[in-house]
Amino acid sequence: MSNSFILRAADRGHEKILSTGPTASYVGGHPDAFITRHSSFNFHDYQSGRAGFGRIRVFGDETFNNPGCSYNMHPHHNFIICAFVLSGRLQHINTTGNNDELLAGDYYAFSAGSGGLHTEINVHREPMNAIYLWMLPDHLYLPPSYARGRFDAEASANRITPLLGTGAPLPIPQDATVSRLFSTRSGRHVHRPRSRGHGLYCFVIDGRLTCDGTMLERRDSKGLWNATEIVLESGETGADALLVETIL
Amino acid sequence: MSDRDLKRWLCLGCGFSYDEALGLPEHGISPGTRWADIPDDWCCPDCGTPKHLFEMVEIPYAPGQPTPQRPPL
Ligand SMILES: [Zn+2]
Repeated sequence: MSNSFILRAADRGHEKILSTGPTASYVGGHPDAFITRHSSFNFHDYQSGRAGFGRIRVFGDETFNNPGCSYNMHPHHNFIICAFVLSGRLQHINTTGNNDELLAGDYYAFSAGSGGLHTEINVHREPMNAIYLWMLPDHLYLPPSYARGRFDAEASANRITPLLGTGAPLPIPQDATVSRLFSTRSGRHVHRPRSRGHGLYCFVIDGRLTCDGTMLERRDSKGLWNATEIVLESGETGADALLVETIL
Repeated sequence: MSDRDLKRWLCLGCGFSYDEALGLPEHGISPGTRWADIPDDWCCPDCGTPKHLFEMVEIPYAPGQPTPQRPPL
């Protein structure tokens, strides 16, 4: 028998971080700039939810509002930090030597390892919405690394497409895989975890998805473990979901 | 007490790690200092996250890490 938890969109942590006042050294940009962050797991001031799931520690649904809105350059170690851009344009600069603009469908994995800094900026008027995923690495103090990829929704529609991690185009130093299911029609998709020791975190970006019998709406999510087969069913109007499989 | 009992702690705000075996000599914490002996109001030197938001981890080091500290001149 499998185990699970369900997290509805409205039950996530919610923070609004201003570019002025005490948070000014953290969030930059025009005085009207602010970041909204919905956290699926405990992070910063939000500490009343789940601590994480498997190797996942942060799953933030974040929107950068108004031109210049940014996390200023700041240091990291060890965490594998991934961003999946859903709308708008994200400028990512890091100390491994990358300065990238990422559009909707683009994603990156930045493994901070023995140390690295990064800044995340939206320089445009249009809000930028991205999912930020942090995972623990399998070793401490790895050489820092960065790679980016692109999810082509049209070419990859109606199937589960691995984006990064085990069995995906972008490797990461952890026993985990992030995939995306973008369906344009009703369909039944079966995900088989690599072992009983792996769990799946299913987050609905858009649309409606029935995950192992639970109807999930936009930004709802479900975690499952001790399962051999997980059935995902999209309705006629389609669904878009991120699937994070992680060793527990 | 053996070295094997010494633990590692990770800052959940940024990933900074504290290793009891290594301490943080540059921040006045000598090697071998137990996590429990670090004051409760101590914060991550990199991001300011409070001590209680660190997580004990059993993650091995990458080959060749941690880089040996240079002896003081
Ligand atoms: Zn920190």
